[in-house]
Amino acid sequence: MEKKAALYICTGCGIGDALDIDSLKELATDDLGVPICKDHPFLCGAEGVDLIKKDIQDEGVNTIIIAGCSGRVNYDVFNFGPDKIVERINLREQVAWCQPPKEEDTQMLAEDYLRMGCSKANDTEPLEPYIAEEEYSKDILIVGGGVAGMTAALEIAKAGRKAILVEKEDKLGGFLGKMKKLITMPYKDLSDTGAEDLIKEVNENDNIKVYTSATVAKISGSPGLFTAEISADGNSVQERVGSVIQATGWTPYDASKLNLGYGKIKDVITNVEMEEMAAKGKITRPSDGKEVKNVLFVQCAGSRDPEHLPYCSSYCCLASLKQAAYVKEQNPEAVNYIVYKDMRTVGQAEDFYRKAQEDGDVFIRGSIVNINENGGKLSVETDDELLGERVNIEEIDLVVLAVGMVPTSQPDQIPRIQAPEGTEGADEEGMIEVMPDSGFFAKSALNLEYRQGPELPTLKYGFPDSHFICFPYETRRTGIYTAGCVRRPMEVVKAKEDAAGAAMKAIQCCEASSQGVALHPRAGDISYPEFNMQRCTQCKRCTEECPFGAINEDEKGNPLPNPTRCRRCGVCMGACPERIISFKNYSVGMIGNMIKAIEVPEEDEEKPRVIAFVCENDAYPAIDMAAIKRMQWSPYVRFIPVRCLGSINLVWVADAMSKGIDGLLFLGCRHGDDYQCHFIKGSELAETRLGKVSETLDRLALEAERVKFLEIGITDYNRIPTIINEFMETIDELGPNPYKGW
Amino acid sequence: MKYFLYWGCSLEASGVNYLRSLKPVCEALGMEFEEIPDWNCCGASVSYAGANDLAIKVLNARNLALAEKKANYDIIAPCSSCYIQMIKVNHEIQENESLRERVNSILAEDGLAYNGSIRVRHIQDVLFNDIGTEQIKRHVTKPLNGLKVAGYVGCQSVRPYGEYDSVHNPVVQDKLLEALDAKPVPFPKKIQCCGSGIFLPEMDLCLGLVRDILDDAVSHGAEIISTVCPMCAMNLEMYQDRINEKYGTDFDIPIVYLTQLMAVAFGMDLKRDAALHHNVIPPENILKAAIGN
Amino acid sequence: METNTSYDPSFAREVFENVDSGEEIKMCMQCGMCAASCPLREHMDYPPRQIFSMIRAGKRDMVLNANSIMMCTSCYTCQVRCPRGIPVIDVMHGLAHYAISKGILTRKDTAVFGREFWQQIYKTGRIDEKDLSRRYFFADGIITGIKKSLQMARMGIIMLLHGRMKILPEKKIKGIKSLRSMLDKAMQTGKGGSEV
Ligand code: SF4
Ligand code: SF4
Ligand code: SF4
Repeated sequence: MEKKAALYICTGCGIGDALDIDSLKELATDDLGVPICKDHPFLCGAEGVDLIKKDIQDEGVNTIIIAGCSGRVNYDVFNFGPDKIVERINLREQVAWCQPPKEEDTQMLAEDYLRMGCSKANDTEPLEPYIAEEEYSKDILIVGGGVAGMTAALEIAKAGRKAILVEKEDKLGGFLGKMKKLITMPYKDLSDTGAEDLIKEVNENDNIKVYTSATVAKISGSPGLFTAEISADGNSVQERVGSVIQATGWTPYDASKLNLGYGKIKDVITNVEMEEMAAKGKITRPSDGKEVKNVLFVQCAGSRDPEHLPYCSSYCCLASLKQAAYVKEQNPEAVNYIVYKDMRTVGQAEDFYRKAQEDGDVFIRGSIVNINENGGKLSVETDDELLGERVNIEEIDLVVLAVGMVPTSQPDQIPRIQAPEGTEGADEEGMIEVMPDSGFFAKSALNLEYRQGPELPTLKYGFPDSHFICFPYETRRTGIYTAGCVRRPMEVVKAKEDAAGAAMKAIQCCEASSQGVALHPRAGDISYPEFNMQRCTQCKRCTEECPFGAINEDEKGNPLPNPTRCRRCGVCMGACPERIISFKNYSVGMIGNMIKAIEVPEEDEEKPRVIAFVCENDAYPAIDMAAIKRMQWSPYVRFIPVRCLGSINLVWVADAMSKGIDGLLFLGCRHGDDYQCHFIKGSELAETRLGKVSETLDRLALEAERVKFLEIGITDYNRIPTIINEFMETIDELGPNPYKGW
Repeated sequence: MKYFLYWGCSLEASGVNYLRSLKPVCEALGMEFEEIPDWNCCGASVSYAGANDLAIKVLNARNLALAEKKANYDIIAPCSSCYIQMIKVNHEIQENESLRERVNSILAEDGLAYNGSIRVRHIQDVLFNDIGTEQIKRHVTKPLNGLKVAGYVGCQSVRPYGEYDSVHNPVVQDKLLEALDAKPVPFPKKIQCCGSGIFLPEMDLCLGLVRDILDDAVSHGAEIISTVCPMCAMNLEMYQDRINEKYGTDFDIPIVYLTQLMAVAFGMDLKRDAALHHNVIPPENILKAAIGN
Repeated sequence: METNTSYDPSFAREVFENVDSGEEIKMCMQCGMCAASCPLREHMDYPPRQIFSMIRAGKRDMVLNANSIMMCTSCYTCQVRCPRGIPVIDVMHGLAHYAISKGILTRKDTAVFGREFWQQIYKTGRIDEKDLSRRYFFADGIITGIKKSLQMARMGIIMLLHGRMKILPEKKIKGIKSLRSMLDKAMQTGKGGSEV
């Protein structure tokens, strides 16, 4: 395509008052060679947009450079179709609003941004979506036929799609099918589980194909193009699907690991056993089959205990209150004792707690010391925290241990590695538990044919990794979503909501994949990474570092990209030492040219230059936000947005330093346990990579302090001026980069 | 506007300056009062030692029934203790039908019955909501000229129902004081209890409560403390020398009723209407200075 | 944690059935807001929250002998703050009444004062503050009475001088007879034990 560029400078929103627009236009036409250059006082208004449209029509403009507001706003207004290149230069937030107007440094900042933007526009190629040759499937595979799986299947069917439901047992229902009653939310009365109706509805729905006594033997391919091999009743069936929902649920924590008499005293049972017994009819003592009168519930049996399950499962308090109601229903004279750490009636269940109090259930806050059996009855010794005494509760017929939820994905064994000497928490042999941060360890459910392992990578406690607050249902495998208790502990009402959410995601995935556009978080992005294979050295960095397991490998170690698994983060681009991975609108060379476009003043001008590479997802909006609040900072910093800090390539450091740039800032998301990186590993990888930057700097005989990595959350906007100004002080102390003017 | 005035036992004795000042002030504002015929004591907050809950309810229901029989006026109870006792029983009887039947079966001993049609009001409520600060301002002829007053609300005049003011941070009394051109000082302890009905038997413990209240008022610059309850007034005023003795303080701050301040600001007679001579810690000089006499 | 007691639900049942507002404590969730709100909390052996916990555990003697149930100033602070809307005051008064009617006078002065208060209402229908204090001071016999009232004498004289004491004793209300029969009936049929 023959490119024809035009630059439009908006003078509204204070930009015109802060800058000398005419000299900017001069720069563009005379020095940068942009053929068309116009300004407008209100570019995002109908008149301004028409001005651009007219040039597209009359002048054949196809590369539109807009110097005005931040690219984070008005992207819909300045969208001229997929075949037009649009480059945005942020003169409003990052120049006019954060710098004093009409100053030389402010003008120089704007000029640099103009140079950088025009350079990028010049290098950008028009985008074409990736469309595979094979046919796309829009059916959705659901693994697990409990309440979450069944609800997801129905939601998908209701949306007019086809669902394929795989259940390992011979009957649908999961735990729901084994329960007696449910708590209605907000609480009124206990209600029926509705399991039978739900199972019937699923079985009768033409859009749902059910496999029982079945497992998934293999899933290959990528979103929109998956092939699942299902072994059902000994037969192997193939299904083509567009996306997958894992709703494999939970298992109760193993009560025999607790020192609470389970397995030794017959009348000590788990809440799951209690529920199943109640569902079958009478609640009786396992030891002698007699009806129970006094029941004691032990809350947090193993939960919120670092030795067992360190987290709260959020359902067990409610389950015990419910089971106490069963006991009262069976015998109004019965006394229920509930020994708790904290009563947590999540959701809209406080009224249910009140009802239990009204019923006269006895709540004891404290911990169990001992459970003893004598003369057929149990007695429970408890440290009663509120009484401040050790009490003995006698004449107990049945003790129910409220155990928590373990996700079915939890690895059987947590991987252990040799730790560096002196590491805290290492055992005698110096081994330490590590996060099973890949798909190799989780229990079998999906059997993915992925380079990075057959299952969803799990995090702490064995739940599949996803940012459960910001990005519910997402996992580290594109197009594979989790719902229900495998994702996090929850009760039935929430599992249903969860299922609906995951179903919507799965449907979106089928659509987006077939259209060749990216999914969350760069939803709608048409660009995708392309590999220039001639120069590949089979180093496997891309296949290992891709946070989403998008790249498979052939036997020789050549990367086999799967574009519909790709989230377009650019981590592979940053990883590749040969720089052979690039996007049509984002590449190592492109950013390199932007760096080169910056004008570095001579040393004696005493105008240092710093480049800040900022993550587009959190740090960049934080800077915009600081500017919206009219905070100010040094005019010597140039911001370059990157898709993810994980996409930075170390060659940029060399590019910048050898040009005389005085310092580099890398602003990315928080990483670690509570990471905020939209691409999970990006900022962590960036920091690791930058750890090796000292080699580059050494080679150039420069100080390591010139390069700094910082974690920035979107809420840290008020720290932006301090961060920048402190870094400028460091640069001042170090003095100018000696490579200036080379 | 007509109201029943249920002044109760205290206002005939220790709270006489309250009743004396309340009447002329309210009359000047156009209010007319009726007495509930043959009323009895409300039981206050200490009767539980001798009586059960039902007996105390009956005590108050009798007054309500007598009032209802005579006319459909709101009852004003200026004493906070009377107010809380009466409004509580009133609410309970209005909301709980079986209780109403039970109480009425007892009131029937004297041919009485209470249907729950009466509203029980505190004097602050009526002054603020029925009369309003604008109307009050119109009657002010001797503004208090920024006199620094700590408006002591106490407990029972707003709690627990909070019918006309916040139970956690009441503001009505301060607004009424502002209408008199006084300057209410910030006073976080304005709702801390003074010991109320058990002050006398638990004096040793309660002196500390009053000390805290006085200290809070004085340290926020108050020259005078206003109250709306005879018990509060008594507990805050009568024991200052004991507190000084016990804690080595030197409190000597006049305690006046809100209605006394109103009488002064309305330009009424300091003795006949404001009844200032009944106060043990004399407020005359401070008030005279404020109004420029 | 040393003492070894057993949980005994029978006292809780006694409280639910016989103490005015006693059943309300079922809803207590032991948050402790009431304890933190009480003006005389520093002087209480067990704050309200703990009293309710002890009722559930069946600690009858400790509850009925607790000084706190007779230290309620009726300020309603706990009640307006209790997240469960429990009428904490009514429960405290109910418990105090129940304990006193069982002859337990942990805070004797308060109990006597309250009882004299009630007696006077019963006799005349109204309260005569002067008479009440006289009765209260002399309830323990002449000698203590004189001592106590001498301490208060200065105050009495001051009140008298400022016209804040009634000279004439309170007359009986007109309907005193029927009032008494009403109160008798209430005391007999109401909860909380009966004793006039
Ligand atoms: S819900 Fe379960 S884990 Fe959470 S606090 Fe209650 S008993 Fe413990
Ligand atoms: S862009 Fe990101 S998601 Fe796509 S292949 Fe590269 S590393 Fe993987
Ligand atoms: S404030 Fe209410 S719920 Fe909390 S401890 Fe006191 S009575 Fe119980």
